[in-house]
Amino acid sequence: MAAANPVRRSFALPKLEAAGARFEALGDFQIAVSYRNAADEMATAKRMGLADLSPLPRVGFKGAGTCNWLQSRRLKIPEAPNRAAPQTDGALALRLAREELLLLGGLAEGAPDPGDLCNRWQVARTKPRGYPLPRQETHAWFLVSGEAADSMLAKLCGVDLRPAKFANLTVAQTSLARVNGVICRQDLGATLVYHLLADSASACYLWDCLLDAMTEFQGGPVGLTAVRALPAT
Amino acid sequence: MKIMTCPLNGPRNISEFHCAGEAVLQPDPRDLSDADWADHLFLANNSLGVVREWWCHTPSSYWFIAERHTGSDEILKTYPANEFFRERVDFDAREEGA
Amino acid sequence: MAKQATASGGANRMTAPAGVWVDRDKPVSFSFEGKRYKGLAGDSLASALAANDVWLLSRSFKYHRPRGVLTMAGQDANTLIQLPGEPNVPADRLAIREGLAAWGQNYKGSLEKDRNGFLNCFGAFMPVGFYYRSFNKPRFDRYWEPTIRRMAGLGKIDLGAGQGYFDKAYLFYDLVVIGGGAAGLSAAITAAKASAEVLLIEENPALGGALAYARFDAEGMAGERRRQELIAAAEAEPNLTVMTDALCNGWFADHYVPVIKGDRLYKVRAKQLILAQGSIEQPAQFRNNDLPGVMLGSAAQRLIRLYGVRPGKTAVVLAGNDHAYGVALDLNDAGADVSAIVELREDAGSGPLAAAAQDRGIAVMAGHCVQEAVPARGGKHLGAVRVSRIDGPGIFDPGSVGIDCDLLAMSVGYTPTYQLALQSGGKLSYDDRAAHFTIAQLPSGLQLAGSLNSTYDLSAAEAEGAHTAWRAATALGLEAGAEPAVPEDRGAAGVNHPWPIFQHRRGKDFVDFDEDLQVQDIQNAVAEGYNELELVKRFSTVGMGPSQGRHSALATARLVAKATGRTVAETGVTTARPPFSAETLGVLGGRIFEPERFTPMHHKHKASGAVMMTAGLWWRPAYYGGKAKREESIAAEVRNVRNNVGLIDVSTLGGLEVRGPDAAEFMNRLYTFTYKKQPVNRSRYLLMTNEQGVVIDDGVACRFDADHYYVTATTGGVDRVYRQMLWWNTQWCLDLDVANVTAAYAGVNIAGPKSRQVLERLESDVDFSAEAFPYMRLRSGYLAGIPARFLRVGFVGELGYEIHVPASYGESLWTLLLEAGKAEGIRPFGVEAQRVLRLEKGHIIIGQDTDGMTTPDEVGMAWAVSAKKPFFVGKRSIELRRRNPSKRQLVGFTLPLDGPLPLESNILLDDAGEMAGFVTSAARSEVCDAAIGLAYAPAATKPGEELTIKYSDGRLLQAAASAPHFYDPGNKRQEG
Repeated sequence: MAAANPVRRSFALPKLEAAGARFEALGDFQIAVSYRNAADEMATAKRMGLADLSPLPRVGFKGAGTCNWLQSRRLKIPEAPNRAAPQTDGALALRLAREELLLLGGLAEGAPDPGDLCNRWQVARTKPRGYPLPRQETHAWFLVSGEAADSMLAKLCGVDLRPAKFANLTVAQTSLARVNGVICRQDLGATLVYHLLADSASACYLWDCLLDAMTEFQGGPVGLTAVRALPAT
Repeated sequence: MKIMTCPLNGPRNISEFHCAGEAVLQPDPRDLSDADWADHLFLANNSLGVVREWWCHTPSSYWFIAERHTGSDEILKTYPANEFFRERVDFDAREEGA
Repeated sequence: MAKQATASGGANRMTAPAGVWVDRDKPVSFSFEGKRYKGLAGDSLASALAANDVWLLSRSFKYHRPRGVLTMAGQDANTLIQLPGEPNVPADRLAIREGLAAWGQNYKGSLEKDRNGFLNCFGAFMPVGFYYRSFNKPRFDRYWEPTIRRMAGLGKIDLGAGQGYFDKAYLFYDLVVIGGGAAGLSAAITAAKASAEVLLIEENPALGGALAYARFDAEGMAGERRRQELIAAAEAEPNLTVMTDALCNGWFADHYVPVIKGDRLYKVRAKQLILAQGSIEQPAQFRNNDLPGVMLGSAAQRLIRLYGVRPGKTAVVLAGNDHAYGVALDLNDAGADVSAIVELREDAGSGPLAAAAQDRGIAVMAGHCVQEAVPARGGKHLGAVRVSRIDGPGIFDPGSVGIDCDLLAMSVGYTPTYQLALQSGGKLSYDDRAAHFTIAQLPSGLQLAGSLNSTYDLSAAEAEGAHTAWRAATALGLEAGAEPAVPEDRGAAGVNHPWPIFQHRRGKDFVDFDEDLQVQDIQNAVAEGYNELELVKRFSTVGMGPSQGRHSALATARLVAKATGRTVAETGVTTARPPFSAETLGVLGGRIFEPERFTPMHHKHKASGAVMMTAGLWWRPAYYGGKAKREESIAAEVRNVRNNVGLIDVSTLGGLEVRGPDAAEFMNRLYTFTYKKQPVNRSRYLLMTNEQGVVIDDGVACRFDADHYYVTATTGGVDRVYRQMLWWNTQWCLDLDVANVTAAYAGVNIAGPKSRQVLERLESDVDFSAEAFPYMRLRSGYLAGIPARFLRVGFVGELGYEIHVPASYGESLWTLLLEAGKAEGIRPFGVEAQRVLRLEKGHIIIGQDTDGMTTPDEVGMAWAVSAKKPFFVGKRSIELRRRNPSKRQLVGFTLPLDGPLPLESNILLDDAGEMAGFVTSAARSEVCDAAIGLAYAPAATKPGEELTIKYSDGRLLQAAASAPHFYDPGNKRQEG
């Protein structure tokens, strides 16, 4: 019998490798932690950075009963669809419809896995309580940071994402470079930040589109280390 | 490009939407004669004036109703489909030919 | 204003302050037609050449007549020149740069000595409607087309030119103002002060519009003073963004306007839109009105005031309005000798400009016209004009006086730049009294200001700009103060002369310079019976050239109106469509997004030498091994599945979760088969029909729990199936949820007699034995630590398992299985081998073996259609169609293994040689020792019957009909 030692891969892994990423283990995943020296990378993250957060945990719930049940699990539910609410444990809850939520795990080291809610869901008796969605697998998770991030995204997306028009913790379900996706603004520290969640099978395509659009802004890939340092800046 | 206001997602370029024609209450096919069934399938009303239509916001797969004037192409209002389709639809078993 | 010309940047260059756009400290050298010149930074190619006394820029399209500066506004075809790698560049818009090398175009030999210039004398052989008639005759292709292509043409395309980088971006503004003249600037500043976010778009390198080049007062400095004040005010507004060198090329619904700046196309969304694009000055019609040296008054003023270039030494001004006197004054200031103002009106102008001109002693010949421009020696420039008394509208006395001159500046009227306004739905009409076009019935949120709205008076234009801005701001819900006053007198009276058309008996009185159309050509088109303007356009090609009728529409409308006895308003203009001005294909085509989807194993396939193919947006391995060994590779992959074990990536397969108390009821309504009694942990075939009873998708329903189905759908069909499911349940309101999890799962099919052995080498909590895990059963569990769903299915007709795992584990699963199966000789197989394998089993592929009419009965799927259910989508239609049985059925056929292999869509013939069906699939099958295939054949076809297939080369192949199941019809292998 072969040894059980499965490895999970980010959907954009070939692109990260080509960009010269340095990886560290995160659960069964390898996550890109950096590409260059720390100071340069921090400057890039503040100017315009693209990070692949696909290995970080996330989960979704959808269907009748979703909000009630998650509220009973002490989640803070955003007051309206297409709004997001930060959770005390660092997670971010995106409300995509009246009864649909997408939970992004916290960025900090050791943040809990919202996917653990699935275990709770399995054994719960409440009905209805929605149905879990494998958002870790259906969607790649990219983070775009920097003061011109909205101008860069305006090259890929027809929604007005300018900070004055698209408030912090707002969500847009739209098309990004013709790939369906979810955009959520969550500023980190003083830096403008958008989370992009889009079809995992299109991750490599979207990564290239984003890097191409970033060229004129001197943007580039950044690792998890720089992203984690943003809130303190 | 036109703007369509999605009841869930707000105003968006119409390229984010898919139109599925006039929204009508579906008949129980068993209640229709062959000719009426064929009429239902193949003959769209295509009337001039304000028409209630099915639209889907593709990125969120959200179906809703839009009222559009087929002459001016003006979209007069949009609202969730459950304002129109509220009742559960069931097809009870019947004797064939009944 | 300075009067002396200096040699700085060309012999015709004036001293500062003339030339607000050029920088005298920055000389630029460039070449034209191989000859080197010096210009100034800020010069256009045309202005720099004019400064060097070079006026001949091009040859006309049809007659190869010499052409030069007409508008200096980038609006005419006269100035189109050739750059290396780019034809048809307007020389009066192209900024010169160091080392620029430009050439004329559309000539044989050289621009100066065009050997096709003789065509000028043969106009009679190319009458109006020549193209229209010739295009309709068979000889056109053979004879005329190559001839015309040689003679005419607009520049040369460089096929070796490198690819540029073009892209697109969205912009959003409360208010977009198009046109940065007095009205546009005033509107933009006013709205920005009311805290609207404003974008001001200007086509030229600098703001100002007519303020920068026209003369508004006797002193001659009022425009420039006001320009500087307005620009300073605009720069002080933080809410105002200015985009210069930016061309707005169309209007689309809900104020969506494309703006081209450099290599980028901005897709601008405006809540409110103000068009202030000004007006386009119109030429007069008289003999040789196209000679270089004959130009619009505004073109002469642009040369003087924008570029500091004196447009001629001895000038005549043709006046139809008072603006002409401003032109005369400007020429006089520039050091030109103004010999006369030829005034079309009975009386000389009466305003302050006319008074100032008369004060300077410039002669005015009232009630006269120019009946002919006479070329100087060599024929390439104006040498004199022949002036005659006007006897009536368009009629002049045969007697004339000649006046020597090298410049004739025409100021006879304008058309509004109406293109965008009309595209938005505005209606054009004609004010007979003022002899100009007006625009009405604009859509909500769109306003006009300035001379586009026939407001010519400077202060009136500014006031109108402010008023439209106030209305826009108010509509946006902003506090904009009290409503500003609208001017009563907008200065429109007397601006347009009603009939500046003086037809000459010897012609060459051009209406359309692009297409070399003369007054007579328009009249002849009407005489031929083409009396509607749209028909005149099609017949004569008027307005079809690069300037799109900007200088011909008014004259054409007037001529057609007169010839048909209607008013100009009734005649109208032809439909305005985007683009307003020429745009490059690069701008349109650049950065088109074409999504591609990759499975998690994609780069493993590439590393294994897979030849990839597309399936919708996905990339899939077609087969492994180089293209040179295609057939061998596919055959080896097939053989390995039949004899050993193969592995195929099926991650692209659609996956949907249907969950909830009504899941089974929902499945029953969506698919033809029955699912309510389907036991948990079993799978069942799925067939979907649409309401017309046509087969549209298939797959497998996996019941993992009483209220949980995992449903597979075809790669190309899943998005539609998902959307349909949501649509139906929006109406039915059943208690369930549907989720599209296609990308969440990587899938493989491990198939072949040794597939079980391979799986058993890996650690798993699933018992893969035949007894514990029979055919069409499901299991959930782990394989080598990877959470997985296992489906025993038989698409390729061997013992096989589909394994679906979270996509992030996909590559691990692939690697583990290939490693584990080494001893069994496992190898990956691609879509091509799978197509052969499934065909040997007679399994259909939706979309390949079905078409837009296929019923389940036609493809032998009656067994998958439940008659007992009260409803499923398509049931009513299937029942109805059964009463009128189909005339066709899908049958198998066989042919010799080594003979020709029919192609998809080869037709079947009946005894009479009529089409009796067609082939949908065919492949060479080693295991069947035959070429096999599926085809639609007449319904009564029996196995063994002969089918005649017409091969692609016309040969008739005699195939034997058979049951579609060629291999292991008892399914012993897949169910074992």
